[in-house]
This record gives sequence, structure tokens and C-alpha cells, in this order.
Amino acid sequence: MNNNIKNILTSILLLSISSLVFSAGVNEDPLERRMLDIAAKLRCTVCQNQPVAESNSGLARDMRAVIKEKLEEGKDEQEIIQFFVDRYGDYVLLAPPKSGNGLIIWLLPPILLLFAFFSAIMIMKSRSGKVTPPLSQLSKEDQERIRRARNESNKLGEDE
Amino acid sequence: MTRNIWWVIIPALVLLVGLLGYGLTSNPKHIPSPLIGKTFPNLQGKDLNGVDVTLGVIDGKPTIVNVWASWCGACRAEHNVLLRGARRYGDSISLVAINYKDELPNARRWLSRLGDPYQWSFHDLSGRAGLELGVYGVPETFFVNKQGIIVEKISAPLTDEMLDDGIALMSK
Repeated sequence: MNNNIKNILTSILLLSISSLVFSAGVNEDPLERRMLDIAAKLRCTVCQNQPVAESNSGLARDMRAVIKEKLEEGKDEQEIIQFFVDRYGDYVLLAPPKSGNGLIIWLLPPILLLFAFFSAIMIMKSRSGKVTPPLSQLSKEDQERIRRARNESNKLGEDE
Repeated sequence: MTRNIWWVIIPALVLLVGLLGYGLTSNPKHIPSPLIGKTFPNLQGKDLNGVDVTLGVIDGKPTIVNVWASWCGACRAEHNVLLRGARRYGDSISLVAINYKDELPNARRWLSRLGDPYQWSFHDLSGRAGLELGVYGVPETFFVNKQGIIVEKISAPLTDEMLDDGIALMSK
């Protein structure tokens, strides 16, 4: 009995050590990281708004392979992105370029915001000097109608 | 003040309607290719029979480069257009192909069954030649003029009209 427990304990101990023996250290390939950084900036051209880094489509996989290959050749990020732009156009960039037509997209929101800000100020200024017109007085008949309606609702409340 | 506001609102509305109109009338399937106006790259590889071939201008004639695959359903409809086109235009143009990410036996069987309009098909198993040419998927077609300049790229199955238009463009 005692022997049995000993056996079980030894096997548990051995098993727990074995994981240390067989596991390999986890190494992240720095090239993979750089590849994914670039792939995150490129649009998977056959998907709906998905970056190359996240897509499982065949084309995205090919593009990742090409990025890695070019990194191994010593090309930098700018050169690799240009390679894809030359072949697929600006469409391949997830962030539109800050030049040419892309500039409109970058500049329009701040311009609109400034415009809204200044027109709000102008509208407020044009109103600030004005006197608000006095409230119109209720006619005798209307006052009478309100009084009657109040009385009626009070009565209803008492009935309940 | 209220009158001033209309000077802003009306042009803004006109602009918006104009943009919407442009969006509605432009063709969403037309993907402008940055390669149009550029020289077709000379890509070397093997055809379906293992013979060395080089993509580019073939025999000094305006050249159509069609990208196809046996696993591509839309290519089947397009195939008839190409067969008719090859018959109609005969020797005045060169028609070659890139067989994209396809297994050799499947590609060969497709051509023997449906007819082969191409002088040869460049076998691009890895899709690297396609990527070099900015190919999205199949079918796609490049129209290359005699000087080797890409004058048109269609990212859709060709119709007879599209084929005629492309050939007119590259024969200019």
C-alpha cells in the first residue's frame, strides 16, 4: 500500500518534470513581427476592408510571403509598401496617402470642423445683441378655458 | 443672417448631389490599375508542357494576356469569348495566358476539353507572377500594345464587346 502511493507520487513528479525537458523555448522571429507590421498597413485586396496581416485568403498569404522575402533581401518598409502600391494602386493602402486625392480625405474633416466652429460663433454673435420679444399674453377666453379644464381634472381626481 | 446661410447650404447640397450622382453612375467593378501605361514586365517561367516561355510582347504583335484557372467558374463563360476572339482576330494579335494557381493535370484537361485559344499558358502555380502583375483574382485580362505598354486591364470576365474594345485600344 505504502509502496503503491510512492509509485504514484514518483510518476506524478516525473510527469511534471517531463514538460520542462520536452518543451522548447518560445522564440519570436523578429522578421515575422516586422512582416506583420507592414502587412497591417496593407489592404487585402480581395477582402472587405481587412488588412493583409489578418486575412486568410490566398492572396493575403502570398503577400505576406512576399513581404517576408523582401525583408530578408534587406528592403525597408517604404520600399516594400511601394512595391504593392505600384502594382495594386493606392487602394492597397489602408490609410490613404497624404498627397494628391488622398489629401482631401485628410483635410476635409478639420476644415469642416473649423467651419462649423466659426459659423456657430457668428450665429451666436448675431443673436447676442438682440432683445428677445416679450411673451404674448393669453386672451380672456383662453384663460377661462384653462380654468375650466383645471377644475374638471380636479373633480375627476376627487371622484377616484 | 438667414439669407447668408442659404449661400452655404445650396452649394453644399449641389456638391453632395453631384458626388452621389458620380457614385451611382460610376462602375463599382472598374478597379483602376496603376499598371496601365506601364511596360509589361518580362516574366520568365514554364508553360503547361514545361517549355520555357517569357511573358511580354509576343511575336511583335499586340498581345492579350489572359489570367485563368480551371477552378474558376467565371473563366468558363469567358473561355467561349476568347475562343471566338481567337478565331475572329486570327494572326493579327497574340493571345497568351497565365494559368493561375492551378494543378497541371486540371489545367491541361480544361484546355483539351474546352479548346485552347492560347499560344501557350504560363504556369503560375505559386501565384507570384500574378502578384507581380497586380492580379486580384481570375479572370483578368491585360491588353498590351506592340511597344509593350499595358493599355487596358480588365478585372472581370470578358464579353465580346470588351474584347473588341480592348483590341481596338491596343491596336492604336
